[in-house]
Amino acid sequence: MIQHAASLKNCRYADIRYGIHETKHANAEDGKAKGMSEDASISFGIRVLAGEMSAWGYYGQSLGESESNPKSIHKILTLGINKAYARAVANASKKAEFKSLAPSLTAVNLAGIDPCNDTINAVFDEDPRNLSLKEMLTLCTKISGDMRGVSKDVQYAYVEVQTGINRELFCSTEGSCIDQSYALTQGMVSVVAQKPGGVPEVCYDYAGDLLGWEVLKGKNVYKQSLSDFAALRTRETVELTEAEFLPATTEPVVVVTNPHFNALLVHEIVGHPTEADRALKLETAYAGRSWLFRDFQDNELGKQIASPLLTAYSDPSIQGYGHYKYDMEGTPGKRINLIENGILRGFMNGREYAAILSHQPNGSMRATEPHYVPIVRMTNTVFANGNRNPAEIISEVKDGYYIVNHRIPSISESRENFRISAQKVFKIENGEITKLFRQGGITADSKDFLMNIDAVGNDFEVFPIPNCGKGQPMQVMRVGNGGPTLRSRARLTGHQ
Amino acid sequence: MIDLEALRNCVRNGIDFVKKQRDVIDAEIFASWNEHITVRLNYTTDIPCNGVHEPKSTQFSGIGLLVVFKAGKEIKVGFGSVSNNVTSKGVAEAFQKARKNKVYDPDFKSLPVPTGKPVLEDYHDPAVMGISDEAIVDLGWRGLKGSLTEYNQNHYNKSIIIGGDIAIIKERMAIVSTKGIDEFDESTILTTNITSMIEKESVKGTGWNTSTHLAGFDPEEAGCASAKSAIKTIGGERISSGTYNVVFGRQPVTDLFTNIVIPAVSLSSVNSSDTPFLGKLGKKIASESLNVYDDGAIKGAVGSKKISCEGIPTGRTDLIHNGFLVGFLANNYLSRKFENVFVSFPPRNGFRYHNGGRNHNIQPRICPTNIVVEGKDEAPSQSLLSKINNGIYIGRIWYTYPINGLAAGDFTSTVIADSYLVKGGKIDKPLKPNTVRINNNIMDVLNNIIAVSKDKKQTIVWGGEEVVLAPEIAVQGIKLDSIAGFIS
Repeated sequence: MIQHAASLKNCRYADIRYGIHETKHANAEDGKAKGMSEDASISFGIRVLAGEMSAWGYYGQSLGESESNPKSIHKILTLGINKAYARAVANASKKAEFKSLAPSLTAVNLAGIDPCNDTINAVFDEDPRNLSLKEMLTLCTKISGDMRGVSKDVQYAYVEVQTGINRELFCSTEGSCIDQSYALTQGMVSVVAQKPGGVPEVCYDYAGDLLGWEVLKGKNVYKQSLSDFAALRTRETVELTEAEFLPATTEPVVVVTNPHFNALLVHEIVGHPTEADRALKLETAYAGRSWLFRDFQDNELGKQIASPLLTAYSDPSIQGYGHYKYDMEGTPGKRINLIENGILRGFMNGREYAAILSHQPNGSMRATEPHYVPIVRMTNTVFANGNRNPAEIISEVKDGYYIVNHRIPSISESRENFRISAQKVFKIENGEITKLFRQGGITADSKDFLMNIDAVGNDFEVFPIPNCGKGQPMQVMRVGNGGPTLRSRARLTGHQ
Repeated sequence: MIDLEALRNCVRNGIDFVKKQRDVIDAEIFASWNEHITVRLNYTTDIPCNGVHEPKSTQFSGIGLLVVFKAGKEIKVGFGSVSNNVTSKGVAEAFQKARKNKVYDPDFKSLPVPTGKPVLEDYHDPAVMGISDEAIVDLGWRGLKGSLTEYNQNHYNKSIIIGGDIAIIKERMAIVSTKGIDEFDESTILTTNITSMIEKESVKGTGWNTSTHLAGFDPEEAGCASAKSAIKTIGGERISSGTYNVVFGRQPVTDLFTNIVIPAVSLSSVNSSDTPFLGKLGKKIASESLNVYDDGAIKGAVGSKKISCEGIPTGRTDLIHNGFLVGFLANNYLSRKFENVFVSFPPRNGFRYHNGGRNHNIQPRICPTNIVVEGKDEAPSQSLLSKINNGIYIGRIWYTYPINGLAAGDFTSTVIADSYLVKGGKIDKPLKPNTVRINNNIMDVLNNIIAVSKDKKQTIVWGGEEVVLAPEIAVQGIKLDSIAGFIS
């Protein structure tokens, strides 16, 4: 098939991704079963670079099981290649036509990679394919019922589980042929608790990994079964209904942020602004730009943007939601040092963006499903481990706050300012954790926060973030984020 | 492409098959074909680029089958779906899945029943259905041309960024049930959202255009509008943190309604006890000058559909009337769960939107269509500035989220473009983009509305499914924080 693409006139490059996602799913609410399903989705995506002033064309489609025979696949893929090619050629022709009005238009160049041929198998202890749907549904029903039973103040309890295996084939006209499979298991709990006449407290959280059903039996970052994890989140949410609202501050205060909170922090103020496509302005109309890169002459590469104590990196080779061996351009994934001792060192990229920046391609192109176009995404993007004991970090704080577990973010357009709410905020007085507050969080200018980090813990963890939205059309991608405990300064935010 | 007749035959023949199966009480068969085309724009004067970055599409079709089974003294409900197979074999396969997946759900009452007649007929554009690859690509370049031409004519040719997209959605569906529903629908949607910047001036402008027909679609105008707006806001100034009177432009109104207000008036939020409007039906929740309703049957609006994905004719559902909460958006499942002798919720909003189309793989969730925001006494747009006298005109916001959960009502957002300082009831100076964060509670915003403009425009936001027929709205007492001082 890929040879057909290579044979088309002025076709400079093409790749095909063909994949199948087999998933089992169950959910329940308040002790009542809601649904279960077992299904497979099959789809493909084709990218073609063609035309004298080469431009991209793309085509993606879902398939049914009835079409998954060699003859049908051959016919459908041929049509898809022809369509992507037609779009690329039309686009290239227009690009050439517009060159006089728009001088910076160029042919697409891809940074070179060595073709790879490899097979990567899914890793699991408990094969998702052997699990019974009824067992999954019974688990969800029981757990959601137990959550309701924790307290009369629990208004709503929802549990959802999924497990399965995904497999994707990648072929390119450069000779790459890669077959990657991975397991995926995730549990989600959502709970609402409310005292009569009070403001509801809402919590939702996830346990998950690219492994088998053992994830929900305890092989996860929380080291808890889904049942225990759900019970914990429910008790915490009930406890919070009795807490006072956090008062906001007008000036920064000392804050210690825990690894769970820092998962969302690194995601928003390090991960996203170090995506090369964002830096190169491709996301301006959607998710914004990056304050780290204005243009080739004016950017923060090589400059101090954070405390010398801080290092951050993105690494698909470590375990977590962002784990893989090859990205969706066939580039081997590798650790990318984004910030080293406070100095900005690099961006996550794809081959086209690497060529523009004159960087090495580092394998960060991902798509949620094969029929989507790959875009630059985080992998496992984290703050690096430090060497301080988190308890010591807290004990040194005379007057400050302990920010525990992330909730919801809001980040400014170039990621230069953030507000992130926390599940819990504790007062720290003379090194002791004292009072619990709710409905609070922190806000700061990103650079100020990063530069003011004065302690980095040794309790590194990676958490599953299943719902990073990016692209047009929107792709909701799972990524791994995390880090250790940090201490810095920020303003507190509260209930309005 | 799968034609409507094939979809209708599939569901009609399919229901005959399913009705004969053992233990089947009721069934509903949904079949659809969808294509979502996106032409993404990216032009940067100072960075090598493609202009039209990638014309792309995804296509999907299939059958979704919901079956009610007799199970002893109970009933059980099962859902099964099959992709890319709208034949009798596909129906049989989906049925087997539904049988395997059936569960006892005490909250399930009944499948939808036919209600009324659809208003819309033949409202799609055959020209969009048959659009060629060349024409698709051309639309993208037209959008770019609109913006580039405006900048060139005004002698701006450095530090320019133009981004955004043209999106085309083609949808066909058919649905039949044992309850007597036998309906079909076909729709075409074209939207463009273009953002452009003169980056060294730190200005950004937005333009957008929507249509159901190719003839009425003008991406060039959207591109031009984005450039004009960016140029107008050169020379922006910062403001201090404080409380201000604000006129929210159409995009911010859409953003606030899409991300905060409309999710809060959905029965799904009532079901999960996560809305600030819980227990407030019939009570005053907003300024008496505010009316809000959802109407999926508005001719020419891009959120309009003939029928929902449950086969129910679309129509108007009042949500807020003279400041009082009078309704919630509903699908059949939650409408039946929550109806009682005192109140019912018309199930007009059960849709299967996912991946840019009406997706056979999922069961209907509650989705808005066209959200109309009206004032009791609407005023000309210009007069809203004099109503606030001194304050801020906010033209575009970003990352609007219910920061402490929807039920608490708190939200935050940043002001990123198209905004101005207002003095003495007139536009005074541009506001510097990305220097202001809004921190407020939606209840305060809704209750502090002082005026609503007469002029409305169909407006969409990134990631939003609905269209808001958005006016401009004047509100007092908005808390604005100055941010990102280090960037200056």
